[in-house]
Amino acid sequence: MTIDLQPAGDTAPRRGAVATAASIAERDATRLRYRSRRRTVAVISALVLAATCVLMVFPFIWATLSSLKPTNVAFSNPPVFSFAPTFQPYVDLWQTTNFYLYLANTLVVAVISTLVALLVGLPCAYALSRYGGVASLVLLVLALVFRALPRFAVVLPMYEISKSLGIYDTTYALAAALIAINQPFTIWLLRNFFAEIPRELDEAAMVDGCTRFGVLRRIMLPLMGPGILTAGIFVFLFAFQEYLTAAVLTDVSAKTVPVFIATQIGQNLPLLQQASAATVLLTLPVVGIAFIAQKYLVAGLASGAVKG
Amino acid sequence: MRRREFWLLVTPSVIVMFGFMLVPLYRTVRWSFQQVEYGAPGTEVGLANFASAMSDLRLGRAVLFTLGLTVVVTAFCLVFGYILATLINVLGRRWRPVVLGILLIPYVLPHVVGAVAFSWLFDTNFGGIINFIANLVTGGAFGEPLWFIEPWPNRLIVAANAVWFMLPFAMLMILAGLQGVSTETLEAAEIDGAGPLQRHLYVIIPSIRGVLGFVLLIFTMDVLRIFDSLIALSPQAVALGNESIMLYIYNVAFREGAVNLGLGSAISVLTILLILVLLYPSIRALVKEAKAA
Repeated sequence: MTIDLQPAGDTAPRRGAVATAASIAERDATRLRYRSRRRTVAVISALVLAATCVLMVFPFIWATLSSLKPTNVAFSNPPVFSFAPTFQPYVDLWQTTNFYLYLANTLVVAVISTLVALLVGLPCAYALSRYGGVASLVLLVLALVFRALPRFAVVLPMYEISKSLGIYDTTYALAAALIAINQPFTIWLLRNFFAEIPRELDEAAMVDGCTRFGVLRRIMLPLMGPGILTAGIFVFLFAFQEYLTAAVLTDVSAKTVPVFIATQIGQNLPLLQQASAATVLLTLPVVGIAFIAQKYLVAGLASGAVKG
Repeated sequence: MRRREFWLLVTPSVIVMFGFMLVPLYRTVRWSFQQVEYGAPGTEVGLANFASAMSDLRLGRAVLFTLGLTVVVTAFCLVFGYILATLINVLGRRWRPVVLGILLIPYVLPHVVGAVAFSWLFDTNFGGIINFIANLVTGGAFGEPLWFIEPWPNRLIVAANAVWFMLPFAMLMILAGLQGVSTETLEAAEIDGAGPLQRHLYVIIPSIRGVLGFVLLIFTMDVLRIFDSLIALSPQAVALGNESIMLYIYNVAFREGAVNLGLGSAISVLTILLILVLLYPSIRALVKEAKAA
């Protein structure tokens, strides 16, 4: 018995096959054809992907260019491609508008609504993943329906209620509205993550004398790290993206950046250029999130938690 | 888990969710039967708001526009999202995060901001780079379409923008679905002589039809609710007949002097009914799943 030391690759002769010159030539030709076809497919798919990527970032690239051009050529037609870059729109944006205030508002709203949404949503999601009663099912179905509600059905009455309560145009009212609007999503996402943790862990801990709340705090929270991060990132993004609710519930002092950018359209050129500067400033951190938090974004979307 | 523990854990969330949503929702339902303005008690008008909604031509156009947009955007995103996901699925470890990161940008950017940036590409008052490039390629045959003033060019850019920010989502969902396709079945199909197209049609697509159905559901509901991008891309929406249902509600119940709050609420109620119908299969699946457990 002989041991074949040659690596089983392209050059390894097939055992038990008597290769004639003709069959070898034929095989090589097929392989070559196969290989070149594969290469064509790879090139085409790389081109499709590259083109898609360029199209996806193109509006953003154009906004960046517009924000860096001198004002007189920023939006000139036909477009100007060689220019001396200037940061004047950024300086103006910072000095002549309340952009920093709007940015602070956006961050405050996003941070508050993320923290509260998680604090309130975590116990609820845990209970929903462990309790098999009818109440659990009813809550989940209601959350599914609430997640799909048309915004105006809740936001217009909120506008009236917040006016009559005297909290219209405050960051707190906006944050509270967003917590409520995003709560169904939060509990669905977290519940799906909890459901992946085996119940035996809860039972073992409770046999050892842990209470339900102890289990949640000591066992579940450490295990839920990625789930909490994923939910936090999504709720933060939703709050940060929200235009409709912010446009209805804020006016001057609690205005957020998306609302600010939207109100700049239809203004004169310098203001428009400041809007493009604002767009760039808003996009940069978002690009960071897309790359750094990619794992969590993909995990969140893939877990099917966006249900509803 | 005991009942008392369940309610203790759930209560804060229930208060936030239902307290902040059911009260406004109740008010919307009440308003839909009233002639009402903000800050004043309304007068009951019965079903008059629903009747005028049904006979309103402008609303009819808005519904038609929204449905058309939904069909076009959803179909395009499903097909192209599938192709993209298939291509990304075979990418190596080096390029995959880069491509995914780039594709995620339109998804995470506020839609209204993305739409504003989009409008600059087309508006000839602001450079109109798209016209410029298209004319460069076609030698001037492309001309200068009136993207914001003529109905069809405007519809085209609204649809293009919706595809732009929704495609990444479809791609990601389908990509996640592709991970679950059994490699054994694929190999078996290959041995049986199935070509690439046949493998996609008879093995991969049937085995991810759950995911595809889910994407279809989400897309239908999301495009039905389209609003943000129209604010930036279709300033003339009313005149062009390019109002979405949500934009129509906003216009009659908030922007245009808020005179028709009752009518707007009635349309909200009708939209909720439509969404309930769309959600019915998901709800039934959920109940069935719970019964089986």
